[in-house]
Amino acid sequence: MPPLLLILLAPACGALVLCVVPEDRHALIRRIALAAATLSLTGALLVTVGYNTGRAGYQQEVFVPWLRSLGIGFHLGVDGISVALVLLHAVCGFTGVLISYAIKERVKEYYIFYLLLITGVFGVFLSLDLFFFYFFYEMAVIPMYPLIGIWGSDVKEQGRVRFSKEYAAMKLTIYLTLGAVIALTGLLWLYTSAGAGTFDLPTLQQHFVTHPLPTNLQQWIFPLLAIGFGVIAPMWPLHSWSPIGHAAAPSAVSMLHAGVLMKLGSYAIIRLAIGLLPDGAQVWTPWLATICVINIIYGGFVAMAQKDLKLIIGYSSSSHMGYVLLGIACLTPLGLDGAVLLMFAHGLMTALAFALVGHVYDQTHTRYLPDLGGLAHQVPFIAACGVIAAMASSGLPGFANFVAELLVFIGGWDRYPVQAICGVFGVVITAVYMLRVVRGTFFGPSKPAFARVQDALSPISRLPYAVLILALLVVGCWPGPLLRIIDSGSRPLIQRLTPGDAQPGRLAGASRALQPNADSPRAGQP
Amino acid sequence: MPWGLLGVELTVCAWILLMLAADIVMPAARKPSLWLLALAGVVCCAGLLIGQSASWPGAFQQMFVADEFSGYFKGLFLLTVAVVIVMTREFHRHLPTHLGAFYMLLFTALLGMLVLASMNDLLMLFLGLELLTFSLYIMAAYLKTDARSVEAGMKYLIMGSVSSGFLVYGIALLYGFAGSTNFAVIQAKVASGSVTLGAEAGLLLLLAGLGFKVAAVPFHLWVPDVYEGAPTPVVALLSVGSKMAGVVAILRVLYGVFLPLQSVWTHLVALLSAATILYGNLGAIPQTNMKRLLGYSSIGHAGYLLMGLSTGTAQGIQAVGYYLLAYLFSNLTVFFVVLLASEAMGGDALDDFKGLAKRSGFLAAIMFIGLLSLAGVPPFAGFVGKLLVLLATVESGRLWLVAIGAVNVAVSLYYYLMVVKRMYLDAPRVTSPIRVHAFTKAVLAFLAIGTLTIGIFQEPFFAQVAAALHL
Repeated sequence: MPPLLLILLAPACGALVLCVVPEDRHALIRRIALAAATLSLTGALLVTVGYNTGRAGYQQEVFVPWLRSLGIGFHLGVDGISVALVLLHAVCGFTGVLISYAIKERVKEYYIFYLLLITGVFGVFLSLDLFFFYFFYEMAVIPMYPLIGIWGSDVKEQGRVRFSKEYAAMKLTIYLTLGAVIALTGLLWLYTSAGAGTFDLPTLQQHFVTHPLPTNLQQWIFPLLAIGFGVIAPMWPLHSWSPIGHAAAPSAVSMLHAGVLMKLGSYAIIRLAIGLLPDGAQVWTPWLATICVINIIYGGFVAMAQKDLKLIIGYSSSSHMGYVLLGIACLTPLGLDGAVLLMFAHGLMTALAFALVGHVYDQTHTRYLPDLGGLAHQVPFIAACGVIAAMASSGLPGFANFVAELLVFIGGWDRYPVQAICGVFGVVITAVYMLRVVRGTFFGPSKPAFARVQDALSPISRLPYAVLILALLVVGCWPGPLLRIIDSGSRPLIQRLTPGDAQPGRLAGASRALQPNADSPRAGQP
Repeated sequence: MPWGLLGVELTVCAWILLMLAADIVMPAARKPSLWLLALAGVVCCAGLLIGQSASWPGAFQQMFVADEFSGYFKGLFLLTVAVVIVMTREFHRHLPTHLGAFYMLLFTALLGMLVLASMNDLLMLFLGLELLTFSLYIMAAYLKTDARSVEAGMKYLIMGSVSSGFLVYGIALLYGFAGSTNFAVIQAKVASGSVTLGAEAGLLLLLAGLGFKVAAVPFHLWVPDVYEGAPTPVVALLSVGSKMAGVVAILRVLYGVFLPLQSVWTHLVALLSAATILYGNLGAIPQTNMKRLLGYSSIGHAGYLLMGLSTGTAQGIQAVGYYLLAYLFSNLTVFFVVLLASEAMGGDALDDFKGLAKRSGFLAAIMFIGLLSLAGVPPFAGFVGKLLVLLATVESGRLWLVAIGAVNVAVSLYYYLMVVKRMYLDAPRVTSPIRVHAFTKAVLAFLAIGTLTIGIFQEPFFAQVAAALHL
């Protein structure tokens, strides 16, 4: 079986199998879900290892004609950008299943929805057909409603409900669907005006080389795609669903949601909006860059003001996604590499953070910062992981986030110096609230109310944290291999954008400086 | 006499008499098993329909034709009625007297729909429509002791009579214009270019009469009350069969006869579509009764159907054909679950659905699938239907209409999810599990799997639609 099909079908088949398993066999249900996630992870690792950075274009393609009269085909394939994100999603999905062991009621339904969510997200990253791209995108959004609504928790402040989980779930679903249909309108407009009679992405890209869309049309369609997919990115001022959604969701879903689901938006902007509408992108990206800065600074300040742990991380996510969008808005290979690497790094970091908060909440039944404190006495392992997550989030050297943010700033400096400088201040803001979280949760005198709080003791419960931290450190200390893979995907994309404009040597040099093994092909890979 | 051409209709006529006789002769205790006989009738018709593959010349001075178009829709009508018969099996204790007569009315309604699919003449249009609507008037008021049901029947009758008046007036004007009621003659006259004001007025009145059938704004006022009051199987027939019949008639009239007048009616239908989509979807939001909510949702769907009809292109009518197929499966799924659940929960208020997932995971899951499909969410059938309609509308250049249609997908998702919320998130009042008969389960599973299949494997269904519906 082609690895891409394995990645996509394993969770889907897992969900189908779960439908016929009796409800009370919890252990069996968990094992099936874990097996499905492990298969996907194996597939993702195979694809990553087997990815050939020297070859241009999409790899590992699978093509099945689907609805011929409209030019729809079931087309899977990966380039460097999607390889990184598929790997990220596979890791988050796998660790999420382990974290979900904390779910004790309606287990069967939970894992069915969870696996459907995973399938949808994989589908978006792997699809090379606009129809199936949208198909999987919507498929990923809908399971969020029951997942948050049933297994989530209300966001409370001083014992009062601030946002109920029903509200959060509905807000999230409606926002994302509204964004999706706006993007769909753009996609259908694009399909019709291209006149190629195909939804196939590579074919459309080829078609646009010889028959480019008129610039004024691109200027109209680009914002539809950018705003539509920007809702999930989440782009200010359409971000308000996201922190609440993160906060109300159960841990594993928050992990996926902040770790991967938000990346669907920026991925779609890269793949569709910029990949298909280069002229539109040139017109609108300065605006995008400005919005990113608002995202970074505003999100950071709002995060500082929160008292619910999950809300803090939620707002911090929407702030950090600003860097990703800034990197994309640069429209340079360096910025784009940084953006994709940051998606990868931020996904791992945020998944780690939500997993930790989930553990703290399960044990203490509160996420309200003033109520917490001194937990390091009871949960040294979790506290250590918490400190690591905070360091990664603040972009300390040694973690993948540092490399990625550096690339974004270097890339951004060339085109948007003002925005880049403002962005750097975001790092300081992050450090402030992350340190506050760590201090307020783990340090200080031990509180008697938490005397019976338990650490993650068994190896299986420590595994997800270890996997996530290891991935962050490996990519942080040795970013070369992954960056080379990402670069092989982003470079052709940018070159299509500015065919005549060769990249200045300085940027290429900086990019090469961060990839010590760039000249020896595929060094260090098995 | 072309017996083969009329085989399906004649079988239905035979079953009408059979049901009437059964109602008189059969002892009351045996009547609940009448549904089997009724179902057998529909199966016979389906067999005859499949055998009727070749194209026949028309009959009765070309008043009656049988082509791929009529074959496709007759198949859908038969499927609808079959499901409705299975639904009445679960509902028969509410219809204690004259169960046979109820089935008889079901078959007269079916006959009306079949005639509509095959009509090629304004008189046949009127005949088929009245046959269908009269059966529905009586069926809507069938729960004689329930004031809501009687009110529903009354309201439907009054509004329906007014719209029939419009229709007849329109037919008269068109006859005056063309000197014939035959579609081919009228079409030739329209194509020759000299269209009088009277003919345009006739077309408008015709559209008003048919707009009542599909529940388009501004002829929608009867919908919420009738949906709330009428017996649930009848509402299912009303919302799927009757709407489909209306669309078939509009297709025949607008695309078969008045295509040269496109520039006149496409704008009008587009405006009606926008108003219908907005009214239906916004009106559904504050509803507290499940059937009322589905009534408003069916108005919204009529809007999407009109949107496809407003394109004036082959893509548009193919999209409508696919949309109807998807709508049939998803709406019947939903109504079937509503029927079963309100039997078990003791009411059809939205709050009666609280905690359905805990009492019957199966029913809740099926309902979830049906509602998501109605909302137009992949991987279900409704998504492909909406996508095709939107695509055809983009191609026709009405982006403002596409914008309204697209945004209302999100609006409709809101009220459908409010039902899902009650089923999955809220706690049930009583926790005893609901038992569902194995046969009913099988039919529900068939509908749900159909919804999924039409949504994922579009090619065979689309090929079918494209072969049947072309300009």
